[in-house]
Amino acid sequence: MLTIEHLSCCYGEQTVLKDISFTAKQHSKLLIIGANGCGKTTLLKAIAGLIPHQGIVSVNGKNTALLSRKEQAKKIGFLSQISSIYFPYTVYETVMHGRYVHLRDGLLRNVDKTNEKIVLKCLEMTGLLALKNKSITTLSGGQLQRVFLARVFAQEPDIILLDEPTNHLDLKHQLELMAYLDDWVKQGPRLVVGVVHDMNLALSFADEILMLKDGGILAHEKGAELDLKLMNELFEIDVISHMKQSLLKWQ
Amino acid sequence: MSKKLKIIVLVMSALLAILLSVSIGGADIPISDIGRVFAYRLFGAPLPSDMPSVTAGLIWNIRLPRVLLSFVVGASLAVSGSVMQSVLKNPLASSYTVGVSAGAGLGVVLIIVFGISSTVLGAFLMPLTAIVFGMATIVFAVLVASRMSHALNDQSIILVGMILSVFVNAIMMTFASRSPEYAQQIAMWQMGSLSMRGWHVVGIISAASTVLILWLCRYAKEMDILTFGDEQASAVGVDVKKMKWFLLLLSSMLTAVSVAFVGVIGFVDLIAPHIIRRFFGAAHRYVLPLSALFGGLFLVLADLLSRTLIAPSEIPIGSITALIGAPFFGYLFLKNSKRKAGAS
Repeated sequence: MLTIEHLSCCYGEQTVLKDISFTAKQHSKLLIIGANGCGKTTLLKAIAGLIPHQGIVSVNGKNTALLSRKEQAKKIGFLSQISSIYFPYTVYETVMHGRYVHLRDGLLRNVDKTNEKIVLKCLEMTGLLALKNKSITTLSGGQLQRVFLARVFAQEPDIILLDEPTNHLDLKHQLELMAYLDDWVKQGPRLVVGVVHDMNLALSFADEILMLKDGGILAHEKGAELDLKLMNELFEIDVISHMKQSLLKWQ
Repeated sequence: MSKKLKIIVLVMSALLAILLSVSIGGADIPISDIGRVFAYRLFGAPLPSDMPSVTAGLIWNIRLPRVLLSFVVGASLAVSGSVMQSVLKNPLASSYTVGVSAGAGLGVVLIIVFGISSTVLGAFLMPLTAIVFGMATIVFAVLVASRMSHALNDQSIILVGMILSVFVNAIMMTFASRSPEYAQQIAMWQMGSLSMRGWHVVGIISAASTVLILWLCRYAKEMDILTFGDEQASAVGVDVKKMKWFLLLLSSMLTAVSVAFVGVIGFVDLIAPHIIRRFFGAAHRYVLPLSALFGGLFLVLADLLSRTLIAPSEIPIGSITALIGAPFFGYLFLKNSKRKAGAS
């Protein structure tokens, strides 16, 4: 379970998040939506402990600020949009990076059989076994994002945070990625919290929706009970009419 | 070619380069004689009667320490360079470009010019001063860079380091022109020299470098992860700030130890990791030890050229590495940018 209490965040003089509090339960997917610059990504980074912030973030009752970087990474994984790749690691090596927090700290720091097995399992889960020895510099965008997904699975966190991971992916790969995450959540006491750019994707995937406006919470609802009229207020345009018009074109 | 085979080829080439380098010089020595002198020195086997008495001394006291010194220095610089490149995620980064070498050199020059000596430290004064000055340079560069931007920004560290490097070199030149009697000695530090160092120097550098290289190899995983960017590395569980400081300081120390004894030698640290990555991939558990091997091999050959091309005079070793390294680097960049232009 993820609990956020009175979280605030500033960049210099500018306040980006004001007094955010919410709770997200296990086995669920909470998606955050809001206009550009409303603080979505900042909120994710603050939860992951990647940027300085005020307030308390706790996972299963433990305040993450009191944990070391390694202990935090055991609880919270992070999947962001694809960034540039400079060095030619293999798919297997890259996914093994996810095991970093679980590796023994002996003199030679060898990788043992258990870790190898877990990495292979994560490669299998994401359909990457055949590409295991390929260099990540030769992969397509969709394949590369699956590698990073396998890496975050290998990390075995309680929570995976998503920062627009479907950007630069085509529709097929977007749906595929969300399906993998959907499976993952069902397999244990796990939780996905994230930002997804595509509103339709967000609505169909989320169990709960958190609406963020100007650094504060506008609404936090179950996906099924969401009052769609709030969307118009959130984005300051007539979202519903726009979506209906688009639908007509498809029909 | 499989990875194993490539490693064997690299090890054999390094051994061959060492043998050739001991054999070739002012007086050419047959490789069989080298073997005999080794057997004599290590196992007490008798020297053949037809071998001139100076040959044994030439091999054991002059050539061999020099060749081994080149190898160890080349290895140290190459490892230091690969660490810097990965931590700062920039193929142009190295202890040389971020000013560590120049800083360490300045420490040495100050001791020469002011004739400083210490009864407590004795012969260790110079290397220790070089280490302190070299590390002070990187600390200064990182501190200035972190005032420029909140996180430990890699580009700013490199930029500040480059400026520092030029600045420190200017200070050295000022000292050189103020004290012409030391000008030649200072020039030697700026371009490096591997000549006339005895076994004790080889011993000290080898011991220090081996410890530092092995220590760095323990952090191969962290270096792998750091190349993906600070944010991703943090998310995977690496304490980025701490790890960066640690690796930068350790790799600077590795360079400074070499500079302390043989002066500033550039380009080995840029080239070696590039070539190794091209053939062996990016994983640091290969890149670090194999860069050491390649860097050693490269500097042994460069030193061979430096003392044979215009014999009996010597070309400074730093000039040789730059003469080979700069065009090679230009070629690498042109090739890379062409490939990128072709891809887009």
